Amino acid sequence: MTVTTTMPQLRPPTHRVERRAVLWWSLQSLVFAGPILIGLIIAYVLWDAARPWLIVPLIGVAVVLLVGVFVQPWWRYAVHRWEDTDQAVYALTGWLVREWRVAPLSRIQTVDAVRGPLEQMLGLATLRVTTASSSGSIDIGGLDKDVAAEAAERLTTIAQLTPGDAT
Amino acid sequence: MTAELPKFTDHTRTEPAPSTETDGWHRLHVRMIWVDAIQTLLSLTPAVVAVLVFRVEPSLGAMWPMVIVATLGVTGAVGDALRWVFTRYRVTPDYVERRTGVIVRQYRSVRRDRIRSVDTTAKLRHRLAGLRVVEIGAGQRSAAGESAFTLDAVAKADAEVLRRELLWSTDTDGEPAVGVEHINDVPGTADSEVPAAQPTAGPAPAARVFARFRPWWVVYNMFNIWAYLMAAGLLWGAYWLASSFGMDIGGFIDGLADWGALGWGWTIAIGAAVTGAIGAIGLGFVFFTENWKFELSRMRGEKGTLLRTRQGLFQTREVNRDDNRMRGVEIGEPLLWRWMGMADTSIITTGLDTSAMSSASTILPRGPISVARPVAAAVLDVQPSPLEVDLGPHPRAALRRRLMWGTGVAASVVALLAWLALTDVVPWWAVIAGLGIWPVTLWGAWVAYRALGHTICGDYVVVRSGLTSRSTAALQRKAVSTVAIRQSLLQRRLGLATVSAMTAAGWGIYEAPDVDVAEAVPFARAAAPGLLDRYAEPARRPVAAAQHEVG
Repeated sequence: MTVTTTMPQLRPPTHRVERRAVLWWSLQSLVFAGPILIGLIIAYVLWDAARPWLIVPLIGVAVVLLVGVFVQPWWRYAVHRWEDTDQAVYALTGWLVREWRVAPLSRIQTVDAVRGPLEQMLGLATLRVTTASSSGSIDIGGLDKDVAAEAAERLTTIAQLTPGDAT
Repeated sequence: MTAELPKFTDHTRTEPAPSTETDGWHRLHVRMIWVDAIQTLLSLTPAVVAVLVFRVEPSLGAMWPMVIVATLGVTGAVGDALRWVFTRYRVTPDYVERRTGVIVRQYRSVRRDRIRSVDTTAKLRHRLAGLRVVEIGAGQRSAAGESAFTLDAVAKADAEVLRRELLWSTDTDGEPAVGVEHINDVPGTADSEVPAAQPTAGPAPAARVFARFRPWWVVYNMFNIWAYLMAAGLLWGAYWLASSFGMDIGGFIDGLADWGALGWGWTIAIGAAVTGAIGAIGLGFVFFTENWKFELSRMRGEKGTLLRTRQGLFQTREVNRDDNRMRGVEIGEPLLWRWMGMADTSIITTGLDTSAMSSASTILPRGPISVARPVAAAVLDVQPSPLEVDLGPHPRAALRRRLMWGTGVAASVVALLAWLALTDVVPWWAVIAGLGIWPVTLWGAWVAYRALGHTICGDYVVVRSGLTSRSTAALQRKAVSTVAIRQSLLQRRLGLATVSAMTAAGWGIYEAPDVDVAEAVPFARAAAPGLLDRYAEPARRPVAAAQHEVG
């Protein structure tokens, strides 16, 4: 998996996410794009006059769904990594657009382990770290629920010890 | 933070004069009621004048504009008076509190250590009555639907005392800059108490002025697309006013020229020119009324210094910004007016909403870049000024990426039009016309590429980008909280990366798009000192070697 280490002078974070996350990302794509595709198919079947119009979005959504279910999760699994220390949280996320993101613990405002319905089903959790900047938060999805909870607790403890008002 | 604050007890004497209310709750100023009464009378005046002087027939058909004016005026005044009856405010050592609401009772409180700006404004009616509206900014986000904390209105002297008390300013010696505003001042007990309570330390000048109003800046504020909207409003207003008083505008315009002989083309051209001219004059007038006696200065306060602007002819506006919260300066240059060097200058600060048009972060009226740059440098008070350093060009690959995107956008427009032409929705010549946007997008790509720039200048990280408005931002490096490096597939192929610095101030994110990939990590490390050190690897390979892997 050399795909993750292409930013010169920057090493990737150490931990990978859970393998179950692949299933989670697949299901997410299915839940979001699936209903739209079904709706389009029903419209295509029932509404003759609109067929020349509907065929383009129909194909588009079908491609998005296929890529979202079969390609994107594996790609993400190959890329996503994360790491936390007593100084900072470091994450590498994305697939087509990859992002390396570092937030120092001294600027952290909240740390949460968030669990959506799909994640609860799979025993996963998202570690969400927010800073005072509206766009500076870090989301690390696809962690084991215990790992995420433990990390959240650890980070919260450290963040409280760090002096300063986080702006 | 709390250690450097003076004790609250030092300042108890500066609270607004105690009223008869218990627990320190104050009413808004009673003169509001008089203002409302006069507003009621004034709003009834047009109708009365029309009937008595111009003998307009008092029917709903002829009078409806006046009826609307009267109804709006009277309901506004009555509502305002009711609001006065039900509103109380109080300043405690820790909080500023306000209770208001006629039907739904509202209670708002703002922690005093969260207060970032105290803004006093006054509409003409407030000024005539010696009143001021106090707006307390404590980091509310208008996006979150949170309105500002306003006290509408208190006596001018009370407003001044509140401002001083809440921002800990010591500029109280009644020096000339303040004296201007004191003309229609009411001698209040509070005002005379303040200098005794907060003596200034030493003879140092209380304020340092960075910029004053220059009438010729009006040129930069007259020409823009809003001119037509303004003209439309003015002309429509003039039309209904004149027709209410029985004048025939249509006939008047008909008589000005032989429109039939001129033909449609000329009629439209003349109409557009006249409308544009009226709009431009209107905007010029607005500029003068809004920015009259504009002054940007820095004054001493106990908690540090304040950056203050005051401006306005009929409606005055004074904004004080805590310098401790300032994180940098941003200059925006709109594309269409770059040839004349038009610039918008604002500060990057925490707790102020940047998105509003005339937001508190704007420190200069729209004006020439030749003024904006020195003022920004003086406000930052560092040499060399981060906004004047030379930003080297970005790699040519950044231009290639923009050209590809421009071509892609043009291609998708043409493809969409072709599809629509296939289904007989648009004629085929529309596809050819669609091709016409290709040169435009390519030109846009070139402009956007030329706008790119980034550097580190002393304590500041400087980034420049933007197509429609080229914006140069200088942000304090120590204010950077999160740092991110982003790379799309195309950027990876071209050897580029986008470096973002997130902060609690201003827009929250400042980006250097399309930096050379070898330079991305060093720049990010410099932008957020110390943050990336533990994740850095020594530069093992030169860039050329890095590229073969992805190629």
